[in-house]
Amino acid sequence: MSFNSLIKKLLNKSEDSRSVAKKRLQFALVYDKLEVKDGMLEELQKDLVEVISRYFEIDRESLSLDIQRFEGSSALILNTPIVAAKHQKTNEKARDKT
Amino acid sequence: MDGKVIVVTSGKGGVGKTTVTASIGAALALQGKRVAVVDMDIGLRNLDVVMGLENRIVFNVVDVVQGKCKLKQAAIKDRRIDNLFLVPASQSDDKNVIKPENMVWLCNKLRKEYDFALLDCPAGIEQGFKNAIEAVDEAIVICTPEVSSVRDADRVIGLLYARSISPKLIVNRIVPKLVEKGDMLSHVDVVDVLSIDLLGLVEMDDAVVVSSNTGKPIVQQKDSRAGEAFTRIAMRLDGHPDLPIDDPMAQKSFWKKLGKKLGRKKQE
Ligand SMILES: Nc1ncnc2c1ncn2[C@@H]1O[C@H](COP(=O)(O)OP(=O)(O)O)[C@@H](O)[C@H]1O
Ligand SMILES: [Mg+2]
Repeated sequence: MSFNSLIKKLLNKSEDSRSVAKKRLQFALVYDKLEVKDGMLEELQKDLVEVISRYFEIDRESLSLDIQRFEGSSALILNTPIVAAKHQKTNEKARDKT
Repeated sequence: MDGKVIVVTSGKGGVGKTTVTASIGAALALQGKRVAVVDMDIGLRNLDVVMGLENRIVFNVVDVVQGKCKLKQAAIKDRRIDNLFLVPASQSDDKNVIKPENMVWLCNKLRKEYDFALLDCPAGIEQGFKNAIEAVDEAIVICTPEVSSVRDADRVIGLLYARSISPKLIVNRIVPKLVEKGDMLSHVDVVDVLSIDLLGLVEMDDAVVVSSNTGKPIVQQKDSRAGEAFTRIAMRLDGHPDLPIDDPMAQKSFWKKLGKKLGRKKQE
């Protein structure tokens, strides 16, 4: 930090516009990258259902997939009720088929 | 010859792409390289006026890719600087007349004829941008220390990475006084946010405006801080990648300046 901005900080607590700019940028860049194209989540959901179904019987209708944003980070949240686990053998068969 | 084709791009307009293309092109030619600067801003050409060559246009880059003339016929030779050539844009077409496959062909031609070809990219990320980056070897991204410009630079950097091109950054129009007052992003802030390799730092310099008024290369103006920065950037591109980057903030203080002078003497 330069001498001038140090003095400024000591005199009044308000941040200088340079630091405000940097913080705004950091948030903007994170948010920009989280934007997903229409249909991408649906495609992903279809693929996930297919993979999970090899291992579990699931209720396809009540599966939900969402992107949740927090300050500075984000998460992909998948929520699905399980009806039953599939038997190991049937898993292998299912995989061979695909 | 097996030259390099380098695109100069930014996303946002008015940040210095054309100025940088003209200046680095001139500097590389002064360093003895055979250089072509190509205006890819089809429909909005400007590189010709910045270089003072607007009165000598006969053919343009669209003519070249459409086979109406040879590359050599369209390349205007600069009379002040040996080995510097301008391939102007067409003013009457739009960006879609050039196709990506044309660019592959053009860049191969440029590599054969020149040591360096610099492509002045249009603003935006549409067809004109896609054409300009289609077949290059390297990319230079320009931004100014402003939120909107840095954000656009980030977008463009992402698009370049997606094409397996690792760009280098030039921060242009730095005003050390404002940075010191805490009213402008410093180059450290910008590099921190973009996390990309730095190629050079260029201060806001009145001489750039004068040079664009007269069409004379800024790298030939005496005592221009921007001109000096461009010359050093050209050296970094041409075999001296580790040439230190001058920190514009260091010039601010009298004592640092003095120290630097003394330090330089000692080295000599
Ligand atoms: N370092 C600088 N100092 C002062 N003025 C500059 C500097 N770099 C660019 N400019 C000015 O900014 C304006 C935009 O520059 P230009 O190179 O045309 O940008 P772009 O090609 O990205 O649209 C021009 O008027 C130019 O003279
Ligand atoms: Mg321009």
